[in-house]
Amino acid sequence: MEHFAANFDIILFLLLLAVGYTCGSLAERRHYASINQRENQQLQFQAMTVEPCLKPGQVKESFLVQGSAVISIDYFKRLLAILRNIFGGRVKAYESLIDRARREATLRLKEQALAQGADMVVNLRLETSTIGNSANRKKQVGSVEAIAYGTAITLHKR
Amino acid sequence: MKFTPRALSGNVNVSSSHPLAELAWLIGGLTTLLIAVYLALWLASELLAPRVSMAVEVWAGQQLLKQTRHTVNPALQQRLKALLATLPSDSSLHRYDFSVSVMENREINALALPGGHIVVFSGLLQEIRSENELAMVLGHEMGHYARRDHLRGLGRGLGATLLMATLFGQDSRAAGIASRIFSGLEMRYSQKQETAADAFGLQLLNARYGHTGGASDFFSRLADRSGGRFSYLLASHPHPQDRIDSLQRQVAAAGYRVAETVPLQGVDLLNERAPSGPPA
Repeated sequence: MEHFAANFDIILFLLLLAVGYTCGSLAERRHYASINQRENQQLQFQAMTVEPCLKPGQVKESFLVQGSAVISIDYFKRLLAILRNIFGGRVKAYESLIDRARREATLRLKEQALAQGADMVVNLRLETSTIGNSANRKKQVGSVEAIAYGTAITLHKR
Repeated sequence: MKFTPRALSGNVNVSSSHPLAELAWLIGGLTTLLIAVYLALWLASELLAPRVSMAVEVWAGQQLLKQTRHTVNPALQQRLKALLATLPSDSSLHRYDFSVSVMENREINALALPGGHIVVFSGLLQEIRSENELAMVLGHEMGHYARRDHLRGLGRGLGATLLMATLFGQDSRAAGIASRIFSGLEMRYSQKQETAADAFGLQLLNARYGHTGGASDFFSRLADRSGGRFSYLLASHPHPQDRIDSLQRQVAAAGYRVAETVPLQGVDLLNERAPSGPPA
């Protein structure tokens, strides 16, 4: 019992690490399954970063659509990143976070556009930011936000 | 132009390596790095400790002494003087201007600060039951000075602390854990030093009283009270029973005489203000 009390912070650290790893990878696996499934559903819907040359009178209406997603890092990923900061190299632990955030944001944008009856999204833009002023501070678990915005257009059906 | 959508196969944006494999690599790399730096520090302090000049040592001791609350104890000082008188005239310890002070602390321990300042914790004094035991404790601390252990420990401790602070920042949890692992290593080494200091103390005790009675009494009392051996794995000193065994082996090997001890209640020394000579 005495040892337990003396090493309480080590035990807490390992516990948080285990929770971070199991919950984090479970959440990630589920999220990717959902992302893949929804991307396949929306495969026919076009979203592009360019503004296509549309003839006058072709576009019926256009409006702004946006989707954003916030993904939190977990304790385990943070440890990996801290260790990476010592040696340098690719921060592999954070790659999947950014990837998930971007794809989820794009999916939500498409969902919004579809719900409003758009035919395609043009001028799609993606931006990323960290959330909360604690995100870059030590001892804090931060999160990443990706926002996707673009112009949804509906076309005159010929 | 016909739009033909294609689903993604694979993901180029995410590395495919397993996170646990990455963790293993990173921790392995960090451990190697720490061990290399630690060995370098250890080597440096081993090489430098015997060369540190007396002036530097005295200065370092005064800096440390400023940070501790302690009171000079004339009764202890007198007993130390008597011990010093038994040292051979060519002993390296004569370079030191020794002083003994008492610090209010329940822990049973004593410190050998650089420059010859011995700080005895009041918790230790309360456990003392004879003059011989006290002489053994003081002799033990002088053993540290003879081998300049106090400088070695200081150098390594300083280096390790600096290293941790550079790597992880001043007060991060990772630094706390790493330094605890470090101090474990550190203590292993210091247990060896403690045993050597015990041997020195024993010689001094024999020179002072002509016999080594009471050398291990103090440790026997500690051994009765201390818990299992597990709690001593990471402790700074060896388990009391190990110290008793090693002392008894040395007594037998050197053929020291064992005789009656001179009783003394350590608590009395705490309250004593005026110097009083130890019984001859």
